[in-house]
Amino acid sequence: MYRWDFSPVFANWPLLAQGLLNTLKVTAVSLSFGLALGLVMALLRLSPRRFLSLPAGFVIEVFRTTPPLVQLFWFYFALPLLIGVEMTPFGAAVLTFSIQSAAFFAEVFRGGIVSIERGQWEAAKSIGMGRWRTLERIILPQAVKRMIPAFMERTIELMKTTTLVATISYADLLFAANEISQKTFRPLETLTVAALIYFAVIFTFSLLSRRLEHRLAISGETTAR
Amino acid sequence: MNHRWDFASVFANTDALLVGVAGTLRIFAICLVVGLSLGLVIGLGRHSRRPWLYFPATAFVEFFRNTPVLVQILWFYFALPILMPFSISPLAAATLGISLNSAAFSAEIYRGGIQSIERGQWDGARAIGMSWRQSMVRIILPQALKRMTPALTNRAIEIFKMSTLASAVAYTELLQQGKLIASLNFNPIEAYSAVAAIFFIILWPMVQMTYVLERRLRRDE
Repeated sequence: MYRWDFSPVFANWPLLAQGLLNTLKVTAVSLSFGLALGLVMALLRLSPRRFLSLPAGFVIEVFRTTPPLVQLFWFYFALPLLIGVEMTPFGAAVLTFSIQSAAFFAEVFRGGIVSIERGQWEAAKSIGMGRWRTLERIILPQAVKRMIPAFMERTIELMKTTTLVATISYADLLFAANEISQKTFRPLETLTVAALIYFAVIFTFSLLSRRLEHRLAISGETTAR
Repeated sequence: MNHRWDFASVFANTDALLVGVAGTLRIFAICLVVGLSLGLVIGLGRHSRRPWLYFPATAFVEFFRNTPVLVQILWFYFALPILMPFSISPLAAATLGISLNSAAFSAEIYRGGIQSIERGQWDGARAIGMSWRQSMVRIILPQALKRMTPALTNRAIEIFKMSTLASAVAYTELLQQGKLIASLNFNPIEAYSAVAAIFFIILWPMVQMTYVLERRLRRDE
């Protein structure tokens, strides 16, 4: 019978804490870039000019259909050689996950914008608003509310996807757990603790998002996907 | 920007890439079958009113949906063997992780699909003397499955993408073979671009198919 011993894991808690912090850092940075870039991609894709909408559509499709780990390896091992720059694991992770989540966010933005009734555009036009002003003041404020549940879901996916950075040796929570288990020869305890930490963080976030979704459903908004 | 692309070294390793594709397809097929069928069982558990079925099924779904797949795979590979009298192969660890994760996600799809069927269908089945089991198998599931098809195809695509994580435990699949080719031929640019292209070529038609299915379903309902 195996005797569980968690003390070597807890003795290394600063490593785990730093790992969790790094995980949250990659998530937060990729999320902010991803949202901004996602909106830009969505607007390009919705553009009536084909030389804008076609390339945007292509980029979105490529990043949505290829596996994120393949993208990460490409950005970490291939891109630096191609353009002759140094790439840190953090840089590669942020670049990959920003563009990848932007591709998904773009579809959420597009769905939300398209879901707003034509009449809103016409009314704005009739009081003399331009296309941009209508988008900014009339369409987006209404669309964003409908998009919130889809955004939260994507954010949770993003946080889970960031574990992939451990494969290119960025010191996130999973990488820290791996280090500790190799050092202490306690993989069972360390990986179990790491899984529980991930569960605690992500589950809390899921519960929050479900509550918010429930609130939005009461106020009559449905999820735009 | 003056890199000279040279795919000759990649084409010279077509055999290795094909072995990788075969490995990817194998793990995809296993996880698809195990994940989606186990998901149905757990989805029925989530739908059940009996607490001894409902609570374990819910705990399973919450746990596997709210932890990263890579953590699950590494746990099955490095941690589980300590509790077991036998060792666990990279294929087994990756399959366990991806299948259980997909089971949790598809369970919610099944549950949603089953609940979306109107009560009247249950009542109707009952009125002509069908048991719970008969109504589920003959009346509810066939209708629910149709509504769930786009969501389930999406899951299949996710499983295909997740199969790359098996490379983290050195299972021979496409990305792992790409790594090998890159390190032997010093051509990471071409090797990883080729791997990305192969994934895109395989997955793109699948994604387009889900769009068609979604559109057709919206038209039918």
